[in-house]
Parts: sequence; structure tokens; C-alpha cells
Amino acid sequence: MLCESTLSSVLAGDAPRVAQPLMENDAFAGFYQRSARPLWAYLARVSANPALADDLAQESYVRFLSAARPELLLAEGEVAARRYLFRIATNLLRDHWRRPQASSIEELPEEFFAASSNAAQADSRAILGPALACMRPRDRQLLWLAYAEGYSHKEIAEITGLASASIRLLLFRARRKIARLLREPAANPRRQS
Amino acid sequence: MTFTPCSHEKEVAQLLARGLWPQACSAELSAHVSACRSCGDLLLVSQLFRQARTEAASEAPLASPGAIWWRAQLCRRNAAVERISRPILGAQIFALVANLLVATVFLISQARHSLGWFAWLEQLPQSSALHFEKLWTSMDKLSPVALFTSGWSSALTISALASLLLFGGVAVYLATEKE
Repeated sequence: MLCESTLSSVLAGDAPRVAQPLMENDAFAGFYQRSARPLWAYLARVSANPALADDLAQESYVRFLSAARPELLLAEGEVAARRYLFRIATNLLRDHWRRPQASSIEELPEEFFAASSNAAQADSRAILGPALACMRPRDRQLLWLAYAEGYSHKEIAEITGLASASIRLLLFRARRKIARLLREPAANPRRQS
Repeated sequence: MTFTPCSHEKEVAQLLARGLWPQACSAELSAHVSACRSCGDLLLVSQLFRQARTEAASEAPLASPGAIWWRAQLCRRNAAVERISRPILGAQIFALVANLLVATVFLISQARHSLGWFAWLEQLPQSSALHFEKLWTSMDKLSPVALFTSGWSSALTISALASLLLFGGVAVYLATEKE
């Protein structure tokens, strides 16, 4: 009897009563408007794939909403909610890199090529893109979170799951490497080709 | 590579974060940054990444937040339905296994009783059962109750009933699972 009533309430659309309540649509829309662009920028520049960034950004929000208590996260402050969102996106990126890559050129989306051909048009992308491409994925994430988003070492550790003590050294090394690549384009093998 | 952060880095980083570089920068600090490699790296990388962030954010194609919200709600609903139906499926599997066990035990116990029936089958050609004239005469002597209570007919009836129950249970289980 209990099971039947629970099932019927779920099927009738009262799932939030059974599970945790979802964040209000309006509250989410406001949060989305404020956080979607920085999140997309992070995903697009770190992955160098705008189409992938679209997918991962949407998936990040779906997972954020499906998380245990998104409204509690918002109650803690939007900064905490945004940090949690970046953490989800970082994990999704990591999962993507761990998966075997597309082996056939037909499997790549058309937008991938369009984005690549437009890359030289934007100044920062023309300068930063080749240098970023030479960096390891983890270093790209660290650099973006620290210097584009302005997160502290502790926040980066929370987002990436790395030890807080190692962030400082990893960032220092990554920054020195990318600065060298930016100052001496000849040192960048991707630029030479 | 030696890890030697400059003591002025924090100050430079704060100015950059507040958007006060280079307006609020003292001449002394400016001179230091142009000479210090670590601060120079920080300045170059921070400015380029902030510019890249602004450009990338301006070209971000935003999906409808409503669509994402509904997609999330659908995912949660599916997860809730799956969570609830998991014990039901478990109960069905348990019932099926229990039925199979009972049926197996029953069939084994009946097989022991049927051993006598096999012995009767072996003796059948010598018996009067295949001599129809004698059979008819002997049938007159047998009552229907006696026929039913004989070992042969009871074993057959019970086996048929057990098979029917077993296959019926499986059929019902499969049908409810499809629904």
C-alpha cells in the first residue's frame, strides 16, 4: 500500500516530495544567468573544444540540480554554489579525458573545425591558445582557475580534489612554463608547425 | 626548477584582482615587476587569462535554463522511480527463487514415490492391463475412487499440477516485469 502510494505520487509528478526538493526554477534561472558564461569559458578554453564545452556545461548544471541539496548550497552563498559547479565541471572534464578519444574524423562535430579556424581571429586566443595546448590538462585547469577565475589555492584544491599544499608548487611550475611559452614562441612546438 | 616566490607577488595579485593595475601601482612596484621574473610571469599570465575569460564568456552560447531545469527534474524523477522499483524487483526475484525451490523439493519427493510406479510399468506387459477383455472385466470390479487413489494416477496428476504451477508462475512473473 505504501509502495503503491509512493509510486503513484512519483508517477504523478510529485518526485520532489519523495526525493529532496529541487531548487526553484526562478532561483536557478538567476544563478544560471550569472554563472553559465564563466563556466562555459572555463570548459571551452581548457578543453579547446567549444562543442564539448556546450555539452559539459549543460551536464554540469543537471548534476548540480540533481545533487543532494542545491538550495542548501545557495543558502551557503552563491560563491560556494559556483565553486561546487566548477568542481562538477572539472570532474566531467577529467572523465572526458580518461575516455578513449574519437578515432575517426567523421566522429568529430563540425563546430570543432569551425572553432579551430576562428581561433586565430581572437587576439588572446591566438596568443594563449597555442601555449595552453602545450600544457598538461591539469595545469590548464589550475591556471584557468587561479588566473582567470581568481580562486585561492584552498578553493582550487576543493574544486580539483588535489592536496591544498601541492597547489602552490603546481601552479608555480605551470605559470613559469606557460610564461616561457608566451615569451618565447619559438619554444612552442605547436606554433612552429 | 627552484620554487622561489617573490614577496611582492601578493601585492601585485591583489592589484590585478581589483582591476587597479597599473593605475594604483607605485613607481617602486612597477620597477620591481619589470625586473622580477616571478612578478613579471604573474602579470603576463593574469592579464592574458583575464582577457581570455572576458572574450570567451562573451561568446558563450547559453542554453535555456528552463530546459536544463526540466531535464534535471526528469533525471531526479527517473532516479526516484528506479529507487522505489528496485525492492519490488528484488521481491519478485525472491518469490521466483522460492517457488523454484519448493517445486524442486516437491518433484524430488514425488520422484521417490514414483519409483514404485516405474516398477509397475516394467511389470505391465505381464499384467492383465493390456489384455483388454480381462481389463474390462476387471474394470467393472474397480470403483472410480479406487482408480483415482491408485499410485499411478496420483503421481501423474501431482506432476502435471506442479508443472502447471511452475510454468504459470514464470509466465506471470515475466508478464508483470514487462509491464
